[in-house]
Amino acid sequence: MKIGVYFCNCGTNIKDKIDPERVREKTPADAHFKTVDFLCSEDGKAFLESDIKENGVERVVISACSPREHENTFMRVLSKAGINPYLMQMVNAREQIAWVTDDKEKAVSKAARYINAAIKRIALHDPLEKKEIDVSQDALIIGAGPAGLKAALSLAEAGRKVVIVEKTPVIGGMPVRYEELFPNMECGPCMLEPLMGEILHGEYSENIELLTLSEVVEVVGSYGNFTVKIKRRPRCVDIHKCIGCAECIEPCPVSAKNEFNCGLNERKAISFPFAGALPNAPFIDDGVCLRAKGDECNLCKNACPVEDAILFDDKESVVERNVGAIVIAIGSDIYDCRNIPNLGLGAIDGIYTAVEFERIIASNGPTDGEIKMPDGEPPKSIAIIHCVGSLDERHKGYCSGICCGYAFKFNHIISKKLPDAKIYHLYKELVIPGKEEFSLYRRAQDNMNSFFIRYRNIDDLEIADRQGKKIIRNKTLPAEAGSIESDMVILCPAVVPSDKSAELSRIFEAPLDRFGFFEELHNRMDSAQSKIRGIYLAGTCQSPMDIQKAMNQGMAAAGYILSGLAAGRKLEISPVTAVVDADRCSGCGVCISVCPYKAISFDAEKEVSVVNEVLCQGCGTCVSACPSGVIKGNHFTNEEILAEIAEVLQ
Amino acid sequence: MKAEVRSQKSEVRSEGSFEPKIVGFLCNWCSYAGADKAGTAQSAYPSNINVIRVMCSGRVDPQFVMKAFENGADGVIILACHPGDCHYKEGNYRAVQRYRMLLRLLEQMGIVKERCRFDYVSAGEGDKFVKIITEMVETVRGLGPLKTKTAQTV
Repeated sequence: MKIGVYFCNCGTNIKDKIDPERVREKTPADAHFKTVDFLCSEDGKAFLESDIKENGVERVVISACSPREHENTFMRVLSKAGINPYLMQMVNAREQIAWVTDDKEKAVSKAARYINAAIKRIALHDPLEKKEIDVSQDALIIGAGPAGLKAALSLAEAGRKVVIVEKTPVIGGMPVRYEELFPNMECGPCMLEPLMGEILHGEYSENIELLTLSEVVEVVGSYGNFTVKIKRRPRCVDIHKCIGCAECIEPCPVSAKNEFNCGLNERKAISFPFAGALPNAPFIDDGVCLRAKGDECNLCKNACPVEDAILFDDKESVVERNVGAIVIAIGSDIYDCRNIPNLGLGAIDGIYTAVEFERIIASNGPTDGEIKMPDGEPPKSIAIIHCVGSLDERHKGYCSGICCGYAFKFNHIISKKLPDAKIYHLYKELVIPGKEEFSLYRRAQDNMNSFFIRYRNIDDLEIADRQGKKIIRNKTLPAEAGSIESDMVILCPAVVPSDKSAELSRIFEAPLDRFGFFEELHNRMDSAQSKIRGIYLAGTCQSPMDIQKAMNQGMAAAGYILSGLAAGRKLEISPVTAVVDADRCSGCGVCISVCPYKAISFDAEKEVSVVNEVLCQGCGTCVSACPSGVIKGNHFTNEEILAEIAEVLQ
Repeated sequence: MKAEVRSQKSEVRSEGSFEPKIVGFLCNWCSYAGADKAGTAQSAYPSNINVIRVMCSGRVDPQFVMKAFENGADGVIILACHPGDCHYKEGNYRAVQRYRMLLRLLEQMGIVKERCRFDYVSAGEGDKFVKIITEMVETVRGLGPLKTKTAQTV
């Protein structure tokens, strides 16, 4: 085996401290030892390539800078020279010897030790081959809120097929239900409609398949090749045939509470979630419809002017789709304020959560946008309680980040609709970062009818009902400090993980963080990527965030998919992975428990562990955990490392 | 244990200068990068350290440490990413678990725990790397050579 040792002088950086001739004397005489001034330069690389070829060098030791800098550079040269790039070992003679060793003689000895160890090591190297696998470039998006739609449209525009799975009958997520949005007081539906229009009927909408009333129930495979099973509940209305005329709604004889208006009004068994909801087609609620109970009611179908738009025989079904990547954009939920009973939600009339209040002020909401009390009268005073469940270790320790923004939006809307109403802000902290967000707070401050009261602890507040008036008292203050009297109370609850997060986490094996949000691969660097390769995160399923950030994450997720599953390219798999020797594996499963990437599974038939090469990142934790010693860590095998240890100590 | 340390110290004095051999297992992403950082800053440290690069501290098999002692190392150091910073999420936690177990094993073999150190060095902590290596070399120099008799029984 002919071993080439290429000693880079790095100009004078290495040579001045480590005399190459002295090193050569201390290395095996049969090694092909060459000195180069700048090995990473174009001349240097050309020399390396031709020297390997001309001298029939089979394995290469490069003594130069840190492998973190130029390992890939020299691996490419080896490939060009026609030898396997993994038959190379670098010696970090610059950063870890020349630059840090005062004594020249000691530097020479250390360099020789490292080079000799590398020579011993590469003799054991395996020629490893990168694998390429066929992948699907298509994507599945779960959740049709702003983040999911943004990701879907970006991918569709790039020519990718996209499947959107949405559990409700409507797209647009939460903001489409909000009349106006902070900080610019833009109308929610108006802002989202162009995006939703593109998704449904735009130039690239042919690339998008929208599955409403659908949920993912099972996933197999991994990055590049996922097979996803989706359960579709019957909508009983063909969204492509329906013209959205709403003729079917009026004749329907049964009603139920409208969950899209937080149960504040009723809807029919066949209904639109709210006026303007997209796709522009109603749905039949099979929990309410008389037909589901066995009746032969045909009133909606009779009223429908389009043939076969209403499909009574639509049944629950499970469909399967193959995709290369998945974006989780299921959004979030709000904290259940009944966990703080002193605030009276559910016990006292006229106390609303912020989401309920959003629907109250929406022109397509239960009160047509009028702010009024249950008795129909407009409130003379409204108290907005911030930080309900946020910034409190007994509830949710984090700041939800969006509440102050919308609370001051409420302030602005209330003062427009009810100019004489007094508005009280009870807050623990005010958090309003961003270049635009402060303007609404300014307006509230300048408003003579707006009052700001800080509280220390949510438990200090107690809301009692006195003949329809809500009396808000701070228990820690003396009685003479007085209390606030308010007709209406709005609670700003913490943003919490969706109740679907845990189930999806289980299906995808994508872990949740300590709060129950999806855990990102890296909190700053890769917040739109889950811990599982090929599964991306967008929007508030990852963390509380506003629409701007959610949209950006949608784009980020699309970007990961477009660059990771590039069109016309196969997925390259690094050969530096763990490999289980199936003949000797005892099937104890220790490796499965230590793998941080869920890359190892158990083959129940053969009773052995199996490493998924796509998911394995080559950390080697399983290799050292295996009690039988039958997992090989490619490129960092026990033999290679032990040879290096032995030689470096000579 | 203290008695053993003292006796080794006296041995060193009689022998004169003793250059300990130290093997260091450094994870690629944090501590190896930290060592590179010390290089870029040109902060000198003793050349007694022999670095073995592994991708993750979780790859450091206790048998590597045993082999190092068997092959003549007077000290071994394992450096990992700080808790929570592991490039592979949690390999450093595995490493520290194994290290604790390893210490008990080494103690039974008569190798004092000062000869095997575990620490955290981030990619930016070049200075900390220099300090740890300098300390380690001094500590092991003070302990004297690892007795070959002990090493043979490994």
